[in-house]
Amino acid sequence: MLTRRLGVVISLLAVVLLGGALVGRAADPPIPIGISVAQTGPVALAGQEQVLGAQIAEEYFNKQGGVNGRPIKLVFQDAGSDEPTAINAFQNQINVAKVVGIVGPSLSQQAFAADPFAVRAKVPVIGPSNTAKGIPQIGEFVSRVSSPVAIVAPNAVKAAMDINKNLKKVAVLYAQNDAFNKSETETFQQAVKDLKLDLATVQTFQTTDTDFTAQITNVLNVKPDLVIISGLQVDGANLIKQLRDLGYQGLIVGGNGVNTAAIYPICKAKCDGVLIAQAYSPAYKSKINDEFKSMYKDRQKKDPPQFSAQSFAGVQVFVEALRALDKKSPIAKMDLATLRVDLNKQLISGTYDTPLGEISFTTGPGMGGEIVQKQSYVAQIRMDPDGTKGTFVFVK
Amino acid sequence: MSRTLLLQQVLNGLAIGSVYAIFALGYTLIFSVLRIINFTHGAIFTLGAYATYVLTGSQLGINGLLAGATLPIRLPFVLALLGGSVVAAICAVIVERLAFRPLRMVGADPLLTLVSSLGVAVALVNITQYLFGAEPYSYPDPLSRLPSAVNFGSASQPVLVRTVQVVIFGVSMVMLGLLSYLMNATRTGKALRAVAEDITTSSLLGIDTDRLILLTFVISGFLGGVTGTLIGLSVGIAGPYFGIAFGLKGLAVIVLGGLGDIPGAVVGGLVIGLAEAFVPSQYIAYREAVPFALLFIVLLARPQGLLGRAQVQKV
Amino acid sequence: MATFLATYDFLLVSMVLAAALALTLYLPLMAGQLSVASPGFYALGGYTAAILSTKVFHHPAPGLYPVSLVLVEIVVAAVVSGVLGLAVGIPALRLRGIFLALATIAFVQILGVVALNLDVTGGAIGIFGIPQPFSSQMQYMWLAIPLLVVSMLFVARLEPTRAGRALVALREDELAAAAMGVNPTYHKVLAFTASAVLAGAVGAISAHFINTWNSRQGTFDTSVNLMAFVLVGGSRTFVGPVVGGLVLTALPEALRGIAGLGGLPTWFAEFLRDGRLIIFGVLIAVGTIFFPQGLITPALLRRLAGRRRPAAR
Repeated sequence: MLTRRLGVVISLLAVVLLGGALVGRAADPPIPIGISVAQTGPVALAGQEQVLGAQIAEEYFNKQGGVNGRPIKLVFQDAGSDEPTAINAFQNQINVAKVVGIVGPSLSQQAFAADPFAVRAKVPVIGPSNTAKGIPQIGEFVSRVSSPVAIVAPNAVKAAMDINKNLKKVAVLYAQNDAFNKSETETFQQAVKDLKLDLATVQTFQTTDTDFTAQITNVLNVKPDLVIISGLQVDGANLIKQLRDLGYQGLIVGGNGVNTAAIYPICKAKCDGVLIAQAYSPAYKSKINDEFKSMYKDRQKKDPPQFSAQSFAGVQVFVEALRALDKKSPIAKMDLATLRVDLNKQLISGTYDTPLGEISFTTGPGMGGEIVQKQSYVAQIRMDPDGTKGTFVFVK
Repeated sequence: MSRTLLLQQVLNGLAIGSVYAIFALGYTLIFSVLRIINFTHGAIFTLGAYATYVLTGSQLGINGLLAGATLPIRLPFVLALLGGSVVAAICAVIVERLAFRPLRMVGADPLLTLVSSLGVAVALVNITQYLFGAEPYSYPDPLSRLPSAVNFGSASQPVLVRTVQVVIFGVSMVMLGLLSYLMNATRTGKALRAVAEDITTSSLLGIDTDRLILLTFVISGFLGGVTGTLIGLSVGIAGPYFGIAFGLKGLAVIVLGGLGDIPGAVVGGLVIGLAEAFVPSQYIAYREAVPFALLFIVLLARPQGLLGRAQVQKV
Repeated sequence: MATFLATYDFLLVSMVLAAALALTLYLPLMAGQLSVASPGFYALGGYTAAILSTKVFHHPAPGLYPVSLVLVEIVVAAVVSGVLGLAVGIPALRLRGIFLALATIAFVQILGVVALNLDVTGGAIGIFGIPQPFSSQMQYMWLAIPLLVVSMLFVARLEPTRAGRALVALREDELAAAAMGVNPTYHKVLAFTASAVLAGAVGAISAHFINTWNSRQGTFDTSVNLMAFVLVGGSRTFVGPVVGGLVLTALPEALRGIAGLGGLPTWFAEFLRDGRLIIFGVLIAVGTIFFPQGLITPALLRRLAGRRRPAAR
């Protein structure tokens, strides 16, 4: 009885694995672009926003006729929140869905694991939110549209210094278990030193933390004029709220991780006045950003967050590069391998007017495209008195 | 160390600790009666928080199966809290009937039940995400008219503790009192302790063990729901995984206090809270390791915990 | 077939490595000890290999990393894990049952925090760009399969020896075994250290295999998976954890594959794809009820063997 059960289970698994591999999509007219972000697991909050940005991009570009008349089709394969799932997702995208390129994964650590597989298979990957050092250096096929914050961070600190001319002491807090924030805090701390400010204390927390009483006590002890926070939405928002609850009245600068309206429900009226170093600003005026914003608002009734804008930009880069490539030599006649290689070369050489602003890529031997973003933004959050609605207002 | 700073850190410790304590109470209750570690407590706690949110008539976000849904009713916070906790209790009972009872019926090893509870916890958390989406939610704040922090010091040397944490501390003490009363001064409590001592003998003596175990889960689930909601009030509902982070630290708390010991859960929570609060500023990066280092040391030095009785090895 | 291999080569090797890692939980379990410390040694092994290959051994940039160096790393990782295993095991294994389980949980958590804070481990970012000794993922089987086979042989050979019988005696009744002259601590530490050594070796291979290593590898979640492998696969015979590791590692990806088959209603396909973790959790819970000794039991093995020759009674 048990043997039979076991036998059934194993044969079912084998059939399914084989079936999944064989029943691929044969020569579909729509061009498949893979989206592999964190749809499940603890990082799903970021992943959900990325999915939404990509879906809006699909709708937007297909309305324009896709790639010179041929629509695109997004293939979603969940990369989960861990490295092996990301690798498996990429394998699926590359070999089963046979995509021309992949936007993803959500975390830098996942990128370090999964991107080499794409490099070996010669498939272009665009990282929408991978900001750690060394990502484009993984290989020629790895590019990213997520700016490593190196430019924006000092600007945000300078903006704070403009508001408080006597700014001297700075306290820095960051999420030590997150690569995004660890990279970002190094930039912030360097900026503080470069601007000749006094880095009075550095406190750490985990992205899963909800209570920051101990860290806040240490911070308040050094009586800082400015607090810089590198965290993700929920922890960052709670940290802001608790800082204010416990009496801190000085300036707060938040990094990219809190650059989202998703923090409003948590810190509510206390989000007011926080300066945010942004790689994306909903307030940036451009045709494509306005259209992206209105499509997003239709679905979500609030301003688009950075993660959504970045995944939109990722899809946009693929679409526009495909269009340019198609004009040079018809992609319908190319085999998949050549298409992927040529697409990679094309996308790195292009310039794009995205919701993030104008972007292009620099490259070098052995690496893919490192983003060059023309616009960088510092904004200040302004909340309604009842604390439910807010906006990001440009400072510079 | 100045007196103000000392007082601040002590109060911080009590504040952090009472959150752990309130979580550990439901956890340790199950252990005290059934001798199993119930990892689903974190998931039930989360469900309770979401249920309260829905009952306050608030709207769900666009992700998840129930996108954009709202209930037609809008309850005031305290009623929603009670309602949400009842929902949590019901979920706890369902879990008990479906997952734990079959194992109990065949006399399974407690470690098997532990693994099963892990599986159920994973399933529940993901079902929660499937239904509600992963975004954070926040309650319409019932404490908004109170000042956000209470000053235990003076105007010139403030020692502030967030109001909601004072509330949580108060509730944890009330719960401790109620549970202790239940266990020590009522007939039901005596019956529960009998079941904890020896389940077979208890049933032979005419105690309806099944019903009592059900009651244990109802209480533990209800406590979980209250805890989840209160913590959600303090820090927002961070997402479907927000209860899981407490699950592991909760283990340290209940072992430190003494597995199955109800006052021990509170003592353990407060001790760990104080330990975390007193970590020197420059070592704050290792704060996360403190509860587990304490757990390890306690296990080696005094496995019965601070308040437990030494377990005599029966031959 | 080529597509199948290209898509699933990573998964297949992961299955083999998971099966080997499942044995690290089985070894202490033979003595009746539930220890979930192996993810910590797995992490340690991975870091050892990652640090050695990126910072210590320098190899010419293009071209593959020599396999001999990987073997050296495996040995170093195994030794380091073994030493730490002894250091932790000797005090910890005086604990019994749930107390030992909890101590090992604490151990893994502490290691995780330490890994996040040391510079040499790269903090949250970890170590990346770990060199590859093979040009294709499938070739990792040259390392994974021998490791799995050697471990299985080790355990199989252990069972009938004096040490093996001592472990079983401890599992059945520790007090009685001690009364009969079996040294409990010695044997428990033996199983624990063997488990640490194996976990370190698997970690060393895995670091190369997934190109990067960080504090997210080898955590409590890994312990949950290992427990599932052993408890669903079979806790009474060493074949059980191996089968459990193979099947349960493939399962989430199999569900992804089923979701990709054409002809399923969209909501069902989406559920299979995104609800993988729900299905996984339910399967664990159900497995403990209906297959408490796991799928592979000694009775089953005896029956399989019995078909070939009558069992000697």
